[in-house]
Amino acid sequence: MVDGIDGDKREKAGITRRRFTLGVIIASVAGAFGSLFALLKVLSPEKKGGGYVTTIQPGDKLVYAKGGNMGAPLRASSLNVGDAVLAFPAGKSSNPANLVQVIKLQETEFKPPMHLNLTDRGFVAYSAICTHLGCTVSWVKNQQAPAASYTECFCHNSIFDPSRGAKVMGGPAPIPLAQIGVKVADDGTLVFTSDFTGPIGPQVG
Amino acid sequence: MSIFTWFDERLELKKFKAKFLVKTFPTHPTFLLGELALFSFITLVATGVFLGFLYEPSTKMVSLFGAMVPAAYASVVKIDILPLGMIIRRIHHWSAMLMIAAVLTHLMRIYFTSAYRKPREINWLIGLCLLGTAMVAAFTGYLLPYSQFSVTATSIAYYVSKSVPWIGDWVSRLLFAGEFPSDGTVPRFFFMHVMLIPATLIGLISLHLLIIVKQKHTEPRSNRNRKEAEGGRRLIGIPIWPEQGVISLSFYLFLLFVVVLMATYIPLNPIETYGPPSPGTPVMRPDWYFLPVYGFLKLIPGDLSFTFLGGKITPETIGGVIFPGLLFLAAALMPFLDRWKEPQHYIANPLQRPFMTSLGVGAGVFICMTAVAGYIDVLHITPNRMTAYAILATLAAWGVTYTLLRRYSRKRGTDV
Ligand code: FES
Repeated sequence: MVDGIDGDKREKAGITRRRFTLGVIIASVAGAFGSLFALLKVLSPEKKGGGYVTTIQPGDKLVYAKGGNMGAPLRASSLNVGDAVLAFPAGKSSNPANLVQVIKLQETEFKPPMHLNLTDRGFVAYSAICTHLGCTVSWVKNQQAPAASYTECFCHNSIFDPSRGAKVMGGPAPIPLAQIGVKVADDGTLVFTSDFTGPIGPQVG
Repeated sequence: MSIFTWFDERLELKKFKAKFLVKTFPTHPTFLLGELALFSFITLVATGVFLGFLYEPSTKMVSLFGAMVPAAYASVVKIDILPLGMIIRRIHHWSAMLMIAAVLTHLMRIYFTSAYRKPREINWLIGLCLLGTAMVAAFTGYLLPYSQFSVTATSIAYYVSKSVPWIGDWVSRLLFAGEFPSDGTVPRFFFMHVMLIPATLIGLISLHLLIIVKQKHTEPRSNRNRKEAEGGRRLIGIPIWPEQGVISLSFYLFLLFVVVLMATYIPLNPIETYGPPSPGTPVMRPDWYFLPVYGFLKLIPGDLSFTFLGGKITPETIGGVIFPGLLFLAAALMPFLDRWKEPQHYIANPLQRPFMTSLGVGAGVFICMTAVAGYIDVLHITPNRMTAYAILATLAAWGVTYTLLRRYSRKRGTDV
C-alpha cells in the first residue's frame, strides 16, 4: 500500500485492511479444518483383515461351540433328526467367522438350492452368522414334526429354511446363510470338507 | 462476620440474588418436566463418577472366578458384588431411562402447547440436540459392561452405520475404532461416554438454560387474562428462590427416592445372566427408547435396496439412519413451518389447535407402532401386516383427533 492515499481511494486499491484480515481468517480456518481432517484419518484405523473372514480348512474337526461339552468333538451319533448345534473348527474358536450351525435332517427332505454334495447322511452345515446384521442364528425345533424345524435369527426375526440351502423365508436378511461341506468321518466325528459356498456375515456397505 | 458476608464481599452474592434468584418462574404442573431431565442428569453424573472409579475399559482377557472373561466385563461383575455396587449401577441405568423419558415428555409438552413458536425456535432445536445426545450417551453405555447383550447391540449398530453409502465405512471405523469388535472400541466408547458426551450435554444444557433466562419462560394462558385485567407486563409466577427452588428440590428428592426404590427391587441389565460375549444370540430387545428403530428394522423387507447417486441404499440404512433422521428433521422443521410474526409468550391450548395437535398425535402413534413392531415375533404378526397396522393406526389417530378437535374448536374458537 502506498502512503498518503486517502480512505476512498484505498478502498478501490484492491487490497484493503478488511479484505486482508478476512483472507487471513479464511486461510487459518481452512488450515485448521485441513489439519482436523488429517486428525480424523488417524482416528479411524484402516481395515486390518477385519470383518468376517473364515479360517476353516477342509479336514478340520467340528467341536461344540458352547454348552457343557464346549470344545469336545462333535459326534454324528449325538444328533437326532431335527437337532442342530453351534460348532467351531477344532482349535479355531477365537474367530467368530468360523461359527457354523450343524443340522441333522432327513436326507429326503433336502431340496435345491441346497448343495447335496456338501451334506452327508442328513448332516448339513451353514454359517451361523446372520446375513442381516451379524447376530448368531438360533434353532427353532419343532417337537411334533422335526422336519419342520427351522433356523431363526432372534435379532430381527429372519427365518432360514435349512432344507433348502438356508433360503430366506422371512425377515430382513438379504441373502441365505452360506453352506459349508461336512461329512461323517470313520471314527464317527464330523469334519469339514469345503469352504463356504458364498459370502458370510452381514451383507452391508 | 458470617461466611455469607465473607463471600458476599468478594463475589457480590446479594447482587446476584437480586438479579437472578428473584426471577419469576410461572407455575404450571407440566413446567417441571425439563427439571426432571436435568435432575436425572445430575444423578447420572454422580453415579457415573462412582462407576468410573471402578470400571476398567479394556477387552483383554482376565481370569474371574476361574473363567477367562474380558476385563471390562470382570470389572462390572466386581462392581455388582460390592456393597451397594449393583444398586448404584441400576440407579445409573434407571436414571438414564428417566432422563430420556423426561426429555421426551418435555418435548411433547412443548410441542402440544406450541411453546416452540417464535422467539423460542433456537431452544427447540437445542432441545432436540439434547434428546439425540442423550440417546447416544445411553447407546455408548450399552457396550461398556461388554456382556453378550452389549456386544450384540453394538454390533448391530456397527453394521447399520457401516451400511450408510459413501461415508459409512469411514464413519463406522471412526466411531468404533476400526472394525467391530476391535480392541479399540471399548476404550473409545468409554471416552465418549464419560467425557465427550457429558461435556456436550453440559454445554447444551447451559445454553438451553441461558436462553430461557434471556427469553423468559412461557406463561399459562390464564396469566394473560389476569395481566390484561391488571394491566401488568411482567411474568406472573413465583421467584426462583426460595419458592421454585424448594419445589424443585423436594421434587428431585422424591424422584431420587423412586429411582432408588426401583433400583432396589427391579433388576436391570443383569450382565451376569447375559454372560460374557459368546457364540449364540439370546432373544433380546433394546431399552424402550430404541424400540422404534429396532422395530422399524424388522419391518423393512430385506430386498428393498436401490442405488442412488452411486451409493447403495440398503434396508439397514433406511431403518437405522434415514428413519430416525427424518423424524428428527421433521421435528426440527416444526417451528419454521408454524411461523408467527409476533413473539408468542403464552402457551397454546392443544385442544384449540386441531391441525398441529392431530399431527403430533399421529406422529406419536406412528412411533409407538414401530416400537410395537419390535415385538412381532411374540405377537405372531407378519412384517407386512404390521406395516399395514402401523399405517392404519397412524392415519386413524390423525383423522379422529383432527375431526374431534375441529368440532371442539368450532364451538370454543381456535387458537392458531
Ligand atoms: S441380525 Fe439377524 S435378523 Fe437382523
